Formats: sequence, structure tokens, C-alpha cells
Amino acid sequence: MEFFDCNVCFGAMMVPPPRIAENVQALIEEMDFCGIKEGLVRHAAQRDDSPVVGNELLSEEVRGFGRLHGTWAILPHQTGELGSPEEFMEGMKAHNIRALWAFPAEHKYLMTRTALGPLYDLIIERHIPLFISITESCGGISGWYLIEQILSESSDLTLVVTDHGSWGQDRFFRPLMEKYENLYLDTSRYELDGGIKAFCDKYGPDRLLFGTGFPEMNMGGALLTLAQADITTREREAIAAGNLKRLLGRVRL
Amino acid sequence: MKNPSELAKEFMAKGRADSCSVIDMHGHLGPYQGIYFPNASPEDMMRTMDRAGVKMIVSSSHASLIDPKRGNRLMAEVIKRYPDRFRGYWCINPNYYKRMDEDIREFSEKEGFVGFKFLSDYHKYPITGPKYEPALKHADENKLLILMHTWGGSPYDSPSMVSTLAEKYPNVTFLMGHSGYGDWEKSIQVAIAHINVYLELCSAYRVNGLLEWMVQDAGSRKILFGTDLPWFDPHYGIGCILFSKIRDEDRHNILHRNAEKLLRL
Repeated sequence: MEFFDCNVCFGAMMVPPPRIAENVQALIEEMDFCGIKEGLVRHAAQRDDSPVVGNELLSEEVRGFGRLHGTWAILPHQTGELGSPEEFMEGMKAHNIRALWAFPAEHKYLMTRTALGPLYDLIIERHIPLFISITESCGGISGWYLIEQILSESSDLTLVVTDHGSWGQDRFFRPLMEKYENLYLDTSRYELDGGIKAFCDKYGPDRLLFGTGFPEMNMGGALLTLAQADITTREREAIAAGNLKRLLGRVRL
Repeated sequence: MKNPSELAKEFMAKGRADSCSVIDMHGHLGPYQGIYFPNASPEDMMRTMDRAGVKMIVSSSHASLIDPKRGNRLMAEVIKRYPDRFRGYWCINPNYYKRMDEDIREFSEKEGFVGFKFLSDYHKYPITGPKYEPALKHADENKLLILMHTWGGSPYDSPSMVSTLAEKYPNVTFLMGHSGYGDWEKSIQVAIAHINVYLELCSAYRVNGLLEWMVQDAGSRKILFGTDLPWFDPHYGIGCILFSKIRDEDRHNILHRNAEKLLRL
């Protein structure tokens, strides 16, 4: 079974858990320990410091590590910190960045089309997935209102919601899954007993992505949960790696 | 996978390990307000337990957290039906203080309960408050277990408050549910300082690097496995334990040996 972690981070954090991976080499050791082949990675500085600093750090550190696929963090273009949307896209192309993260609470911006419309248009046109942690964006009911707002304005956006939390959130996300076909979830906090199976039985496996939430979360939790979920081999393989490969494969930079 | 653990290899391959029949020391039962459960009935829970090699769970029904009179009786019925798979904690809700003596009397008459469950953060009443005293005295006189929800920074059930009770009631075995989530340093100190305090891992297991810290400082003999089932897939918690950098001996202590000792199995 091949595992491709869509939600993994390295680098020094402002408030770290007891163990982190301070650099790429340490992260690879953690992945090897767990048998995780590839990772869609971000640097902690992209959230905790600034995307201006963190995006560059990330690109430098993952260069040459074929198992690690870099992501960048976005900001609204009006402040000019990351250049115009077109310049930002050019930078992504130069560094082969195929996915983006938004940290709207930490970085203090709105995720409306007023703030991000031109960037959203380019992201949609190029099929670039945008990741957002429901925990970072306030979590719970406020977080899911935000997700609905983003998708109601930009339903063609491929949006991956991560870290959806231990208070099983199916009541929040199932109505959105039924309405928005480009909404995906990661499994890093899909701890709910029988949750992955119930999801697959109702919606199929194609919109779940394996994620660990490392380093906040121990990699082993999401790993064994998916490895032993009561689903078919095809479903398991799709969630473990296939769905993320498909999403990244259709990106046109 | 470079993890050298034989247990990890076996769980990854089969979902359970022949040499490691797990005991879950923090369970519930039945539906609850803020969450959708696919598997909340005792029969569904047992199916989950079978898949993960969990031989026994010690639970308090969700109903008992709200209405002890109704909920504890429900738990008693399940224990009677499945005595090899379920044990119980008799839930004490201090907001129904006036009927606590009657509650404790009824507890004494029931089979299969190992002690009490306190959920002070949710009941909004401190574990050190006088309304808990009848239950604490009864537990002390009868050498019972008490599983407490504990949370770092809580005005109701912080690790420091557990320390106060552990001193005052030396015959009670206190299980710090969720290991005083967030206030790890204090929780570990309390477990080290008091022979009658254990760290219970439900939810805490996910915090990366925490288990190594607990094992290093408090020792694996002071740590118990729990899942809040039907909340969390046991494989999630077991996976965190298997992929923490500790020895299989420690994993055996945490996943079943300590519980077997406490439950006299």
C-alpha cells in the first residue's frame, strides 16, 4: 500500500508539539519510520512567520527531494506582498508548486471574491487545489460557514478541508459534500469510529485524501485508521494516494 | 516501514495482534448530542472492538452523563448482557446531589461496575467541591477506580485539582481522562507524585511526541489506553501508540497489562 500524505509540515513552529521535524531530513526519517512514501509538504514558517518568508524557505528546502511536493501559502494580492496573481503563478511554475494553503485567521484576510477573486480565477483555470485547515479558520460552526461561503462564490474551486476535528463533523460537511462536487476532506482527524466507511458508502472514496496532520498529530493515528478501515482495497488505495495524485496530475501551471 | 515494532507490523497487517488483546479504559455507549456516530450500539461497538483486537471496554453510557438514574441503569443492562466485553463506570452528576446517596446505594448493588465517572468540565462543578464527597468517600472505603475527564486550565478538573484529591483519598485509583489535556507537564508530574494516579490517553495519544515524554518521565506502567468509543476508532489511538518511539514492552503495558492489573483480570 502506497501512502501519500497531503497534510504534513516541517520546520520550527511558534508553539510546537513535543516532537517536530525541524528540517526535511528529519521529516523523511519520520515518513520512513511510518512507511509513508510521499508528502505534500509545507514549512511551518509559511503560517507562523509569513508566506513571504515561508514560501521561499519551503522551495529551497524541498528542492532535490523527489518524495516531497511543495505547497505555497496565499495572501490577498492587494497588499502586494506576494506580487500580482499572475506573478505569483509564475513563481509557482518556476518552483513546480502544485497546491496552495490558506491561513485566513492567522494571516488576517477575508476569503471572499472581493479579496481573492483574481487569484481564485487563476487557481480554478489551472486546477490548483487549495487547502484550508478548518481548525485554523476558527473551527466548528464558524469554520464550516466559511467553507460554504468560499464555495458558494467559487464552486469550481478545488477546496481541500483538513483537520476537521474529533467532534465528528459529518453533520457540518455532508450537506456541503452533496452540494459542492469540488470539496475534498483529508483524513488526518477523521477519528470517528466507522467514519471513513460511512463516508465511502454514501459518497464513494474519491473525495477523501490521506493526511496525517504531522507534526501536531502523530502520523500513526491516521495511518492505521486508513490501513484498517472497513472499506475495499480500491477505496483504500484511492484515499491513500490515488486521489491526491489525480488532483496534482491535472494541475496546469 | 522502518518502525522495528513487531506489534506495529502485526496491527498494520491484520488490524490486531494475537499477543496484545487491548483493554479500553475510557468508553461510552449510545448516541450523544453534538456528534453523529455510525456505531453507537453495544453490538456495533463490539464489532469495532473485534476488528481492533479490543477484548474489553470500561464505559459510562452517554445517557448517564446527563441523567445518571436512567443512564447508569442502561449501562448496567449492557454489562449484564455482555459481561465478557463491558465493564462500567457509574456516572456521578453533582447537579443531582440530593439523590446521590440513593445513587451510590444502587451502584453497590450492581454487578460489573469498577468505580465512578466524573465529568466535571461538562457538569460545571469542581472535582474538589463538597457535592462529590459522598462518592469520593465511598470510593476510598471500597478501593474503587474513578475515571475523571481532566483538562489543562479547567476550573473544574485540572491536573492540580486531581493532585489534591489523590492526596486526600489514597485508596482511590484516579484515572486522569485525556491526561489533563494540554497541561502535559503538570499531568505527568501528578502521575509521578501519586502512586494512585494514572494517565489515560484518550485524545492525548494524538499529540506528537507526548507519549515518548510520558513513558520517559512517568513510565509506561502509569499509562492507560482509552478511546471514548463510540467516538474514536481504536485504530487511531493504537496507531499513535504503535508509531511512537517507545518499546513494545511499553506498548503492552499501555494497551493491556496495566488495565488487567487494575481490573484484576
